[in-house]
Amino acid sequence: MKDKDKGSETGRQGTDTTPVPLLEAISSRGRVWEDLAEQYGVTNPDPPWKITLDATCDLLAAGSCVLPVLERRAEEDDLSATNYADIPFPERQLLALAHSLIRRGLLDEDELARRMEEVNRRLNS
Amino acid sequence: MSDKHEPAPMVNEVSDFEVLEMAVRELAIEKGLFSAEDHRRWTEYVHTLGPLPAARLVAKAWLDPAYKKLAVTDGVKASLQVGVDWINSPPTGFGTPSDYCALRVLEDTPKLKHVVVCTLCSCYPRPILGQSPEWYRTPNYRRRLVRWPRQVLAEFGLQLDPDVEIRVADSNQKTRYIVLPVRPAGTEGWTEDQLTAIVTRDCLIGVAVPKPGVTANAKRPVRPAVHPVHHSH
Repeated sequence: MKDKDKGSETGRQGTDTTPVPLLEAISSRGRVWEDLAEQYGVTNPDPPWKITLDATCDLLAAGSCVLPVLERRAEEDDLSATNYADIPFPERQLLALAHSLIRRGLLDEDELARRMEEVNRRLNS
Repeated sequence: MSDKHEPAPMVNEVSDFEVLEMAVRELAIEKGLFSAEDHRRWTEYVHTLGPLPAARLVAKAWLDPAYKKLAVTDGVKASLQVGVDWINSPPTGFGTPSDYCALRVLEDTPKLKHVVVCTLCSCYPRPILGQSPEWYRTPNYRRRLVRWPRQVLAEFGLQLDPDVEIRVADSNQKTRYIVLPVRPAGTEGWTEDQLTAIVTRDCLIGVAVPKPGVTANAKRPVRPAVHPVHHSH
């Protein structure tokens, strides 16, 4: 289902699936855990950031409840069937979360891109 | 003889996804969406969770009829005996969708098979069962299991006789379920530890049944439904 009226796209459950360029770029170039684990011979089925991601999702639904669970999951379902359909889990969950936060105005895409550069420098220094 | 110990393999590169997760988390904290302290405590708590307590609850129930009765009538109280405190352990108390929950233990019989789902999202009894598997979260499982349970269980390799009733338990924010399967033949005289080992996560969700010699979950490839069901929340 697509609504092109304002250049936006909508998933089946009303999610704003308009592509986020930063996340599209990560989708196409990012190395997923299943490939990394195979290359390095690591048997852990999940990346080390999986649980911290789950904690982030839980806490966004706590307290001030900026992103309730049912809404986040409905959007994740929509995005998993559309924008990030070719991305494995849990990278897909992470992309969907970032997408939801950006489209809801909770995070700014440019700010996220700058922070990613800073984190990259920190981790690779 | 060499006593050289090889280090365990590790991933020696930083992926964009690792960077993205960290960046999202840091910005969320800076914007006050949650605190670093709450995140740290929750992450540490989740790291302690896994499926063994639920497996041990089932093993104890098989060995002790009185404990089985307690498990079926008061799952929260029975959980205490396997080290799981639904009320006090989650660090956030009554604040998140993932804290205090009523656990219900669903007892299978030879003529009744239970299976657990959360149709709306993927609510799961994490305090006693750990993290949910990917397939449990998919719309393919969630929407099709409630409509065609016998067929979906067959896709998991669980073929049930036509005279076995299937009861699907739909979880929600405050009520979570685990299945107490029928104790299989061939386990007479087994210890609690031996019985615990064959109660896999998939048995506790209800898509598999315990079998002597089977101590791991089967690989479950995830794929979209051939005939997907669509519904709006």
